[in-house]
Amino acid sequence: MKVVALSTSTPKSSVALAEGREVVASAERTDRRGHASFLVPALDFCFDQAGWVPADVDAVVVDVGPGLYTGLRVGLATAQGLAGAVGAQLIPAVSLDALALRATTGHRHIVAVVDVRRGELAVAGYRPVPGGVVRDGAPQLVTPDRLRALLESDPGEVLLVGDVPALPEETLRGLHRVKVGRPRYPGAEALVEIGARTAEKDDAPHPDEVRPLYLRDPDVTINWAMLRQEGPWPGQR
Amino acid sequence: MKPVILAFETSCDETAVAVVRGTEVLSNVLSSQVDLHSRFGGVVPEVAARAHVEAIRSLTHRAMVEAGLHTDDLDAVAATEGPGLVGALLVGFSFAKATAWARQLPFVGVDHMEGHLMAPRIDHGEAFRPPAVSLLVSGGHSEIVLVHDWGEYEVLGRTIDDAAGEAFDKLARVMGLGFPGGPAIDAASEGGDPKAVSFPRALSDRPYDFSFSGLKTAVATFIERAARSGDLPPLADVAASLQEAIVDVLVDKTFRAVDDTGVRVVSGGGGVIANRRLRRRLAEEADKRGVTLCLPPPVLATDNAAMIGVAAVHHLSLGHVSDWATGVDPGLRLG
Repeated sequence: MKVVALSTSTPKSSVALAEGREVVASAERTDRRGHASFLVPALDFCFDQAGWVPADVDAVVVDVGPGLYTGLRVGLATAQGLAGAVGAQLIPAVSLDALALRATTGHRHIVAVVDVRRGELAVAGYRPVPGGVVRDGAPQLVTPDRLRALLESDPGEVLLVGDVPALPEETLRGLHRVKVGRPRYPGAEALVEIGARTAEKDDAPHPDEVRPLYLRDPDVTINWAMLRQEGPWPGQR
Repeated sequence: MKPVILAFETSCDETAVAVVRGTEVLSNVLSSQVDLHSRFGGVVPEVAARAHVEAIRSLTHRAMVEAGLHTDDLDAVAATEGPGLVGALLVGFSFAKATAWARQLPFVGVDHMEGHLMAPRIDHGEAFRPPAVSLLVSGGHSEIVLVHDWGEYEVLGRTIDDAAGEAFDKLARVMGLGFPGGPAIDAASEGGDPKAVSFPRALSDRPYDFSFSGLKTAVATFIERAARSGDLPPLADVAASLQEAIVDVLVDKTFRAVDDTGVRVVSGGGGVIANRRLRRRLAEEADKRGVTLCLPPPVLATDNAAMIGVAAVHHLSLGHVSDWATGVDPGLRLG
């Protein structure tokens, strides 16, 4: 099975090509605003490296977040276009899962974080199990203070992965049971593994159900100056 | 051979996909977000971007089915590159670029305003040809463009404050009509007397520029005073009168440009071109002068992807193709 994986949920954009679980080509770039100009040239480069043509692709795995909204949409729209054009399966993957899967620990509880801006982080906890990790519950949004409280309340030793350098300095101060680890950003190579498992379990949703994981409603500023008001004519609603 | 192009338009609040063969429209579908935005009083960028990414996949499928084609039949893919909302533009552009790359087809990024400008080619064919004067009026833009040749545009004038469509939205609100305001005022003006109330016509000293912000204040003040003194004219008369104030300025300045440049073809594009009074008045003035008027039907005047496809046909014929690293340009300007 030929798999293409795309991740653009964070400042790092990445692309990976894999035969089954074996990555045969990959590319990445870290530039918060460059998702749209990176993805297709990166695909072009990787396909050339691997000697593939687009029609060979069986599945497209896409990072649906949580993460940067615009990045998520650029990644998903690209994955939808590619999968649709060649008749490939579209498989969603969670950014935090990709982080946790690449975290190396023997025994520690893993906490993965992705910066979603405006003072909040997406976070999820994972238990290491043989051959991978298991997530404890759905990803949620927290403030740095709340993250600190969560880490403090964890009875065991914790490995924190994700965009830790973006956290305010005081968030982790004095938390001796928390070790900071890598990776900082989710990458397409980890998505390959997640996609392969989903495909094996035949667990992919209908492509119209593959949507970004925003975790919050859109920020709406009601334009009061333009909002419909009552008119002066009788009988108007 | 006329190229078959799959085209996308997602610059604002319509997700639109079309298939064209040359200037012939094989399918033209859209998913409007008007209901999503009307309760906020205007287009909310984040709401628009979310709706685009949810609609675009199935809408593309529908456009291909309605055209009766398979992806093998396509010669190129096109998408709006700007101007517009960046998050909205990126959805259609990314989807289109990936589709083109996956089929190894040329990809063409198109200026949204050039799409509006070229829309009349769909119905008017060779009758619509440069040199021409084009009135482009929508919710975000109001300009008079001298078309020296396809791809060679001179913006003669533009609005110095609100766009014409924006003026309709604001006026509709003052009158207690809904969003979007253009269609609401057009409907409310039915049977009304356009001379019932005399509202100001702005910027008579500048030949081709527009200003609509003063009209809102004038209408609001008039309605408030008339309602207080108990002699408020019927809604239809007020709607017809303020519509006439906007239409007068648009028509006068467009034909001033026609007279000054001596062109024999005048055209229009953008959502405001769907206004029935504006269409009638443009037709009368064109008749008087014996010049050819090329207006798109309302469905091709408002945002659509067929116009993007038609503009792309022109670029493709000149070998203008975008490379894979091309991004969107929210501030793109014609000319």
